[in-house]
Amino acid sequence: MRAVIADVLVVAGLLVVTIGVYGVARWRDVFLQLHAASKAGFLGVALLLAAAAVEGDGATVARAVLAIALLGLTSPVGAHAIARAAARRRAELRRGRRD
Amino acid sequence: MISDIVFYAGMGWLAVMVAVIVIVTARGRTTATRILALNLLTMLVIGLLALIAGEDRRSYVLDAALALALLSFVSTLAACRYLEDRRPFR
Repeated sequence: MRAVIADVLVVAGLLVVTIGVYGVARWRDVFLQLHAASKAGFLGVALLLAAAAVEGDGATVARAVLAIALLGLTSPVGAHAIARAAARRRAELRRGRRD
Repeated sequence: MISDIVFYAGMGWLAVMVAVIVIVTARGRTTATRILALNLLTMLVIGLLALIAGEDRRSYVLDAALALALLSFVSTLAACRYLEDRRPFR
């Protein structure tokens, strides 16, 4: 039963990661790519880590939970930093072109 | 334990995803795209490590995943600072 749950979690995680990678490869705008990468990427990796935790011993569960919490904290902050840098850079370029 | 066929298919599929992201990184039109793709690349590697850890109950593999998550966060922030005002520290 637990093995089946782990397999289902792995397949779901791969599916979500694939959606994120497709968005990054398909779109040309940085903000659209960020939209795909930060949310789908984190959710897919969290599902894969959960699959490892379902089947593991205590050490694995602790590390997987810690990794999910860490990614959940750092992924939005990183995405925000990238978006802010890209927006400022774009505004700078636009100003330079107009002047 | 993750069954063998799911494990090997997942490793292969994640390798394909890593290849796609490497191409996106190399061909990225802006620096922000490259930073973003590198961030996603480390996330994919963390997913690979999670698959390896789930396949054989090897918890020490997840130590590497944790270290990689921390390193990629710091490097993303530093690269964004550099992109924003041409130096990592203000």
